[in-house]
Amino acid sequence: MSSIFNDFAEGQRTGSGHRLAAALTPVAPAENPDRLKAFFYFSNATRVASDLRYSLFQATGIRLPKQETNAWIEIFTPYWKAVGEIVRFDDAPSHASWVKVFDAWKETTNMLIRGYSTGGLPAWTVPCLYVVGRYLRAFAMKADAELSSQDSAAFGDRFQDDASTDFRNAKLEEATRVINRMFTLCLSDRASIEESRKWGIYDTTNLLFKSYFKLNSVGLSKNLLRALNASSADLPSMDAFPKSHIVTFKYYIGVIHFLDENYAEAEEHLSYAWNMCHQAATKNKELILSYLVPCHLVTTHTLPSKELLASFPRLEKLFRPLCNCIRKGDLSGFDTAMTAAEEEFVKRRIYLPLERGRDIALRNLFRKVFIAGGFDEPKEGQPLIRRTRVPVAEFAAALRVGTHAEEGSRVDIDEVECLLANLIYKGLMKGYIARERGMVVLSKGGTAFPGTGV
Amino acid sequence: MSNPSQTSDNKAEPTQQPQPQKPPVLEEDDEFEDFPVEDWPQEETEQGAAAANGTNNHLWEESWDDDDAAEDFSKQLKEELKKVEASH
Repeated sequence: MSSIFNDFAEGQRTGSGHRLAAALTPVAPAENPDRLKAFFYFSNATRVASDLRYSLFQATGIRLPKQETNAWIEIFTPYWKAVGEIVRFDDAPSHASWVKVFDAWKETTNMLIRGYSTGGLPAWTVPCLYVVGRYLRAFAMKADAELSSQDSAAFGDRFQDDASTDFRNAKLEEATRVINRMFTLCLSDRASIEESRKWGIYDTTNLLFKSYFKLNSVGLSKNLLRALNASSADLPSMDAFPKSHIVTFKYYIGVIHFLDENYAEAEEHLSYAWNMCHQAATKNKELILSYLVPCHLVTTHTLPSKELLASFPRLEKLFRPLCNCIRKGDLSGFDTAMTAAEEEFVKRRIYLPLERGRDIALRNLFRKVFIAGGFDEPKEGQPLIRRTRVPVAEFAAALRVGTHAEEGSRVDIDEVECLLANLIYKGLMKGYIARERGMVVLSKGGTAFPGTGV
Repeated sequence: MSNPSQTSDNKAEPTQQPQPQKPPVLEEDDEFEDFPVEDWPQEETEQGAAAANGTNNHLWEESWDDDDAAEDFSKQLKEELKKVEASH
């Protein structure tokens, strides 16, 4: 049942950044639904600064250096105003506005940033940055939604495109610029690491990643990564940070590499995120896997097991048909599965790597030809050796099986050779085509289809 | 004005089989969620939990399948081979 002032005082008294940040959390906890109202109605616009000075400091007995005291009052003044705008959604909904909430909250954020840069706020209070930054984004998105619904109401559908495309994310862009200053604030702190705002760097970076993804400017993330790399020597190692910061960070880094088609690097980061993710965070685990599965397909040619996807029915449904076709070497089934889920794959930005699964399906189909070919006449006392000279015609026949070719349709041998050459070029198959004899000569000694045991 | 719409109607006709139900659409909000806690011990990580349950080893499978009725495939292959040879 603690009030905002209790949280502030307890946070200060015990040096708990999280308790302090709770005071700046603009949501009333379930067990104290009137907490925000109580805070707002305790004062009024003309007296708020002096009332805050009293309630934050004099009444609680918290003593801080003068500069820091003033910084907190400057932070809590716009905070009080923002809370007033939030309370309005309950008390006078017709006058309530997310744009006003956002504006007051942005002011709160600016004051907080100033508190760190010139007001002497100590580094242990950085959880305040996390909370304030997080809600700055949330309020910006609500404000944008409010603005665009007003736009479409005011102009009618005819102008909706003009009016809303350009300014659709105006507040989020504004918020992102402020959060960018938080990023600099954390990264450029020169204090020794125990007392550094550098501990806030990944959490702030994550806020920016989320915004850039939402704004469709993933490219801007590269600037952050460059800045982080440049100061990597001064940053503590990743495992020293709280896991929530790192797992989120690794997820976004993974996805950024993924979108650049650097699947090996993407896999490394996404695997880290997967391994360290909280086991109960189902939605996040699902998001990680939705990129990790295509990565695995491309880099190690492995498929997710039933056990892995058992807890994610949506992913099971999304990936299973494709995986079954890859395993069976069913090319036309693969194409059908790709087309069926195309929209969803494109939306999740995983179409491209999944498409490469067709090569794996083809490899598996041709591998079956090799297996079906059996062994050469055994020489006495020698181990069995698979038949490594396989007529191109057999691969052509396999293609007919894999594509469910219709009765009477022809398979073009040139095309078969082309597919074979492609697999050989990609290292999925080892050998050469002896064209004049219409034969494929495969590598001996269990390396004809590298990595598959034959 | 009526012509173009008619053509497009005609085109749509043959594909108007009962559309397979669309896969569940990714919610608008496909953003990585904030974790309810800031930090957690190794035992509560996915890796830690899987190690404890012994389920760690079976997450990824090889992409090929050897037991899938190799005999059948052999037979199918022979039949198709005849067709390939017949057509050339």
